[in-house]
Amino acid sequence: MKIKDKEIDFIYAGKTILCIGAGTAAGLAVYGVFLYFHIAIFGWNLGLIFAPLSAGYVETILSNRFLGKNFGAVSAFILFVYTTFYSFILKNPTLGMNLITAGSIIVILQSAFPTLVNYLLMVFLGGLASSIIWIFKKIKSSFKTAKSHIRWETKEEEEDSEPIIYFNEDESNKKLNSMDFFFLTSTDMCGRDHDLLGLYQSEIIIHNKETISVKRDEVEHKRLVSIKQGKDDCLTKLAEKVKADGGNCILDLDIRYGLIGLGGDNIHIIAIGVAINMKDKSNIVGRR
Amino acid sequence: MIFTSSNTLENKEVIEYKGLVTGESLIGSNIYKDIFSGVRDVVGGRTTQYEAELEKARDIAFESMKEKAESLGANAIIGLKISYDNLGGTMGNTILVTAYGTAIRYE
Repeated sequence: MKIKDKEIDFIYAGKTILCIGAGTAAGLAVYGVFLYFHIAIFGWNLGLIFAPLSAGYVETILSNRFLGKNFGAVSAFILFVYTTFYSFILKNPTLGMNLITAGSIIVILQSAFPTLVNYLLMVFLGGLASSIIWIFKKIKSSFKTAKSHIRWETKEEEEDSEPIIYFNEDESNKKLNSMDFFFLTSTDMCGRDHDLLGLYQSEIIIHNKETISVKRDEVEHKRLVSIKQGKDDCLTKLAEKVKADGGNCILDLDIRYGLIGLGGDNIHIIAIGVAINMKDKSNIVGRR
Repeated sequence: MIFTSSNTLENKEVIEYKGLVTGESLIGSNIYKDIFSGVRDVVGGRTTQYEAELEKARDIAFESMKEKAESLGANAIIGLKISYDNLGGTMGNTILVTAYGTAIRYE
């Protein structure tokens, strides 16, 4: 006999049916034992789990031995359908529909159709989680809307975001070079006449505020502005120190930056150099 | 504009000291960039992304310094110093690049 060019092997088919039948019989026997001895938890007979498992196990063992392959535990499905039908419909036990029953049904279905049930569970749980998040978002946005209405009416509260601070580079440059004082990074004055005052230094500590923010660029911009401002303050402080001792120039100026404090939460800016007193300031601003 | 780390310009006379000029820039702590640079480190490649970022930061600092020197009427910067300082930040990769020197006019 041929069906779609495939010849049916009756012996093989018979063995298959026997294996499935043996599995089904084993499952029924296990179910009978569980029913007879009332092996149950909270009124829920454990045979509903162990009968399909036993059926599938016996069928798989037999089919592997006699046919060299298995068919995916067909008898387990048969047992599952039968036991469910028998227990929940025919016998109609007093088992109420509660959380344990619902959980048990899920367990049974999962053991019978693992991929399908796991997929549905994931879809269900994922959908549930996203729904909860959506509800919370809606509540949050409602609060925000209400808050913005209050602001509109009162106009008293300030905006949450801080205004962006800009650092005026030109102004800073002019200020540093118009204090009647000279900062030189070179180590000598090419022979220009001067008195040596010695090594001077000044330092500034600014807060290195590490805030958790999604606006990283804004945070870093503010940090850079505070560093630039700190550097200007440090140099001004150094100039004032030297001026107080009669100097008017710093040679070999070095500006250093470092982190200090617990966890490096402060930026340490140091300006260090050799203070001198230029005898004739016209030497520095004009031709020798 | 001439940049030099020496105190003088060879064969040229410093006719006027214009003052101090500085430039600063900050490399931000970009977590994705850090992660991918880390991956390249692991596989033994050069962290070219970081190198490019450092070069960019140094260029910004130099450009700022140059503009200031030009505004003072200088045509060279001597005694040039560059420093790279780690300022912590997320994953410890916020780097401050500073460049400063003495703006001069030479002949």
